[in-house]
Amino acid sequence: MLREKIAYDVRECLLSVKGVNLNLGGRPILRDVNFEVHNLYRPGMLQGQVVGLLGPSGMGKTQLFRILAGLNPPDSGHVLIGDPPVPVAAGMVGVVAQHYPLLHHRTILGNLVVAGRQAGQPAKAAETEAQRLLEVFGLKEQGEKYPVQLSGGQRQRAAIAQQFMCSNQLMLMDEPFSGLDPLALARMCQFIKDIAQTDEHKTFVIVTHDIASAIEVCDTLMVLGRDKGPDGHFIPGAKIQQTVDLIARGLAWHTGISRTPEFHAAVNEVKDLFAHL
Amino acid sequence: MTPAGSRKAAGLLQAFSPNKILSRSATNIIVATQVVVFLLIWAFASFKVLPKPGEVFASIGDLWTNQGLGQELLSSLSLNFEAVLISAVLSIGLAYLTVLPFFRPLVAAIGKGRFLSMAGFTLVFTLLVGGGHPLKLSLLVFAMTVFFVTSMASVVAEIPKADFDYARTLRMKEWRVVWEVVVLGTVDKAFEVLRQNAAIGWMMLTMVEGIYRGEGGIGALLLNQQKFFKMSEVFGIQIIILIVGLCQDLIIGAVRRFVCPYATLTLERK
Repeated sequence: MLREKIAYDVRECLLSVKGVNLNLGGRPILRDVNFEVHNLYRPGMLQGQVVGLLGPSGMGKTQLFRILAGLNPPDSGHVLIGDPPVPVAAGMVGVVAQHYPLLHHRTILGNLVVAGRQAGQPAKAAETEAQRLLEVFGLKEQGEKYPVQLSGGQRQRAAIAQQFMCSNQLMLMDEPFSGLDPLALARMCQFIKDIAQTDEHKTFVIVTHDIASAIEVCDTLMVLGRDKGPDGHFIPGAKIQQTVDLIARGLAWHTGISRTPEFHAAVNEVKDLFAHL
Repeated sequence: MTPAGSRKAAGLLQAFSPNKILSRSATNIIVATQVVVFLLIWAFASFKVLPKPGEVFASIGDLWTNQGLGQELLSSLSLNFEAVLISAVLSIGLAYLTVLPFFRPLVAAIGKGRFLSMAGFTLVFTLLVGGGHPLKLSLLVFAMTVFFVTSMASVVAEIPKADFDYARTLRMKEWRVVWEVVVLGTVDKAFEVLRQNAAIGWMMLTMVEGIYRGEGGIGALLLNQQKFFKMSEVFGIQIIILIVGLCQDLIIGAVRRFVCPYATLTLERK
């Protein structure tokens, strides 16, 4: 299938990871991880960035996630965000953890308001913004409920909405596709694509091992894995082994892409790559 | 059997299947049956030392009208309430202080006090606070605090790291993290710990009131009856203590449900 080429410009750097190394218990986990995420500008429309950070289990994805979130410092190297770039610290980046944590003792509205207040918003403004986000995220009826009263999907959206209340445009998501049924998975993919199109600077970095879903929503994939030494053995410590430009392949920003042969070819290509990491 | 009767019988049979939730009426039938069986066993038991239910209930009437049971109960209630309040404030405060590494060894040491015998502290506390009410109160507070602080410190220590990290991602500074995750996040558990440890107060009360009987109290009354082998009165007082304890449990549970409505929303057995 021939798809029309989508015009876009690569603009300022929004996230820069330079020379990140991490050892745990004397064992290298991450080794010289480098990548950048740039603002991709599409004339005439709001287009955020969705970057997938993939890798087989045990490749240090969670550790890299924590470093990107500013929760743990790397042993060396640094993570800079924004323009002008500043070193990342906890709270500067939206973080949606795998199990969608929320403050269990507060209502959903209370969860959003407290996040807004932490970001320095006055009480009234925080409540107004929280109500707006509840509507945007389809949670208007759930505002007075407690987190335990929400379904899995509602909880996901509430957790993301809460992070939008207090973070800048960069949002990290840890395994957002994990444990979802096919319908919920499709909804989640669409949700990320829709939110990414609300602001040009909105940037999702999705840490996952779900190759198909990542290709479905991302514009760029970065595959984390280990190098092999001359003797064929793996060298400890993961780094970015391959960057897959899904825009160049015509797989990003199109609808119904998951039914195309190119999509399946890309899934198989990344799967094969996984087998050698 | 009518369809309604069959349904009720089927509902009762569920009581012998694991993890089943019974209707309120089925639960009431089971409770009533167990109470009747208990009373029958009690009434027809052949133990000579065991007074019959009628004797016990008659003795409660006598204790109330002739021996000032109501007055003694009020005195014990006030002592226990005071002790629960002080030990709750102390224990919860100490447990929350464990967020500061400096206080962790101190709190752990206080918790270890639960292995010590209270009898060994009577003299020390007498010298420290004098006799009478302050002595009883301090002994009771000590006895409750060593258990309470252990449970509450454990609640704080078991908060997962992910909860702290999550709060940090919301731009919370560390003291705000403490307030949101450690204090507000454990209020429901603090009530549960309070409920369990407040019961210890009633267990200790008899001993403490026995040490200094001048102020009276239900514990002193119980020991006096025991001294003269008045078993009906002893059992009568025990039943009163049990009823008061159950009421205390219900009140703390009701306050917990009111203050922390989220705490029981997903429980299978609410």
